[in-house]
Amino acid sequence: MINGLWTVLAFTVRNKIRSKAFVIMTVILAVLLVVVGNLPYLIDKLGGGDKATKVGYAEGQQPAIIQGLKDYYGQLPKPDVELVSVSGSEQQLKNALENGDVGGYLTFAEDPKMGFPKATYNAKSAFESGTATSLTGALQKVKTDMIIKDAGLTEDQKNQLYAQVSLDTQKVSFSNEQGKTEEEQGMAIALTYVMIILLFMAVMISGQLIATEITAEKSSRVMEIIVTSVSPLKQMWGKILGTFIVAMVQLIVLIGALVANLQLPHNSDSLDKFGIDLGVLDLTLVVYAVFFYLAGFFLYATLFAAVGSIVSRTEDLGQALLPITMLTLVGFYVAMFGLTHPDHILIKVCQYVPFFSPFLMFLRIGLAEPAWWEIALSIAILFASILGIGWLSAKIYRVGVLMYGKRPSAKEIVKAMKAYKV
Amino acid sequence: MNSLKVDRIIKNYGDKTAVNGLSFDVSEGEIYGLLGANGAGKTTTMRMILGLILPDEGDIRYLGKAYGKEQLSMLGYLPEERGMYPKIKVSDQIIYLAQLRGMSRKDADRNLKRWLEKFQVPEYYNKKVEELSKGNQQKIQFIAAVIHNPKILILDEAFSGLDPVNVELLKSTVKELRDGGTSIVFSTHRMEHVEELCRNITIMHKSNPVLQGPIKDIKKKFPQERVVVASEGEISGLESIAGVHHVSRHEHGGYELKVSSPEAGQRILQHAMLQGLITRFEVMEPTLNEIFIKTVGENHD
Repeated sequence: MINGLWTVLAFTVRNKIRSKAFVIMTVILAVLLVVVGNLPYLIDKLGGGDKATKVGYAEGQQPAIIQGLKDYYGQLPKPDVELVSVSGSEQQLKNALENGDVGGYLTFAEDPKMGFPKATYNAKSAFESGTATSLTGALQKVKTDMIIKDAGLTEDQKNQLYAQVSLDTQKVSFSNEQGKTEEEQGMAIALTYVMIILLFMAVMISGQLIATEITAEKSSRVMEIIVTSVSPLKQMWGKILGTFIVAMVQLIVLIGALVANLQLPHNSDSLDKFGIDLGVLDLTLVVYAVFFYLAGFFLYATLFAAVGSIVSRTEDLGQALLPITMLTLVGFYVAMFGLTHPDHILIKVCQYVPFFSPFLMFLRIGLAEPAWWEIALSIAILFASILGIGWLSAKIYRVGVLMYGKRPSAKEIVKAMKAYKV
Repeated sequence: MNSLKVDRIIKNYGDKTAVNGLSFDVSEGEIYGLLGANGAGKTTTMRMILGLILPDEGDIRYLGKAYGKEQLSMLGYLPEERGMYPKIKVSDQIIYLAQLRGMSRKDADRNLKRWLEKFQVPEYYNKKVEELSKGNQQKIQFIAAVIHNPKILILDEAFSGLDPVNVELLKSTVKELRDGGTSIVFSTHRMEHVEELCRNITIMHKSNPVLQGPIKDIKKKFPQERVVVASEGEISGLESIAGVHHVSRHEHGGYELKVSSPEAGQRILQHAMLQGLITRFEVMEPTLNEIFIKTVGENHD
């Protein structure tokens, strides 16, 4: 009687995909993702990185330093600061700032101890760190120049002095022949991040959907007819699989929208700048992503179904789902923490906890180098838990759908299970 | 062979007994009345017949076979608490429920159209359930219970909440199903429906079957205790006749008397005839309603 399962599944899918709420939500999310997909390009265009900020200075003040700064910015291919002289006192500078003639202005105060004046960058906002950082670097160089001017260094020595120390970070891999390159690493972080968010969203949205539908069927009493027509187990799995297919359709539409946009020529340039190349996507990582996504989905979906089945009124559902919601939230935040600390002891412990492992094991595979037995153990525990929780959920579901009235306690459920012989 | 044979079923919930040793048979083309106060164990019995819960002891046979997957498609169920998907079209959900019972989509569609035609509401095919009135929702619910031509049909309060016209409509439909050979387990609190439809009944009280058998036989067991008498004028002194407990005067003329034995009836008739022309005299057999209240209500705490 695979028929019953198929009928429930088809009914679930058809009604969900036809519903206005689903269509509207998918469209809104797709539009949102198109915007996100174009974000690198938009940032590039709107960020104003090309335009130099005009920085005013009082004419005649600290001419040596100003000249040094001018020389420094003159050398740069794309200077982000343009020095503008303003005649008069600080009041004039202030006026110029107010009128928008300059983006900010420099003032100097003598600092005998340092042998170099203390500079202040005055701007409308104290958070204009971009220009300030640039000026700090420039002033540092001017200062160094002034001090070593008399030290008699050759041009070569000067260049060596100014040359940046080179430090590359390379992730050492013990299983593969070669370690991951920086691009691959960046891609792994991005994929991990996306996957954690997707899993979290899939679990929350689909889980709520499954639970709500089951409770709605109970509260509208359709359940009484359905459980007498098809076994509860088939009904539960039909519902979970149906919702899963709907979630997949939605996901594919959304990812499709995002990827299609990222592939557009104007976006690929921007992506390059951010060091993201879709071509270096590690295939094994994608396989793991799909696997953990599925595992996480089904683990939580059966739980949501079980909770949905014991609640008789939709109003009570939110409260009943709270523990599961908390569980997913904890998993999500631990994973967020793990993005920056993939080898932290907390992550290493939590990767074996089935409710967190879909988030965390994937994260570790992507960002760290877990031993094979760690992966195997985590997956084994996860599988056992899915089977165990699926089995338990089916039992709870079996009695839950027939219990009406107030939300039963765990004791009552166990009692009912014994009475119903399930 | 009986369509449905319930044999000494017992069901305990923890230390509470919900159904204690209930047996009955329903033959083909029979409506069987399952009566009882609220919480007497009717729902549990019906759930056991539907295979939702297993009896602790005893046995239920469907056309001689034990419960199995193939029995599901021959069972129809109209639950007491009505429920449909409010936001889904009538056709979609009826066909869905029929498919769950193992029907093909095409057959279900044809049957649904036939039933809607029969209830004179073919325009509901494309309506959502929430757009229908309560009575019409109930018709749809009824269709959901019978769409797959079940051999055994369980009706729990089939006519509650319906107006008299629709009650007649559904009642005649139930009779047609019966005549077509369907075995029906019928549960209701409306005794006049039971008297009209059922051949045999069980009255349950606190999990136990307390009264069982054909309605005719059951009625014979209860003494005739009610006499109705009416004349053109007033009849005085009825209270003083030997064997009369209680006299109540009806709004539209006539008296209803409670008597201790049928013989008192004769004395009442003689007494009344002396006072004028008698227009009506009847020694009433007990109604099922009285029998029910007597059986279930007396030791009610």
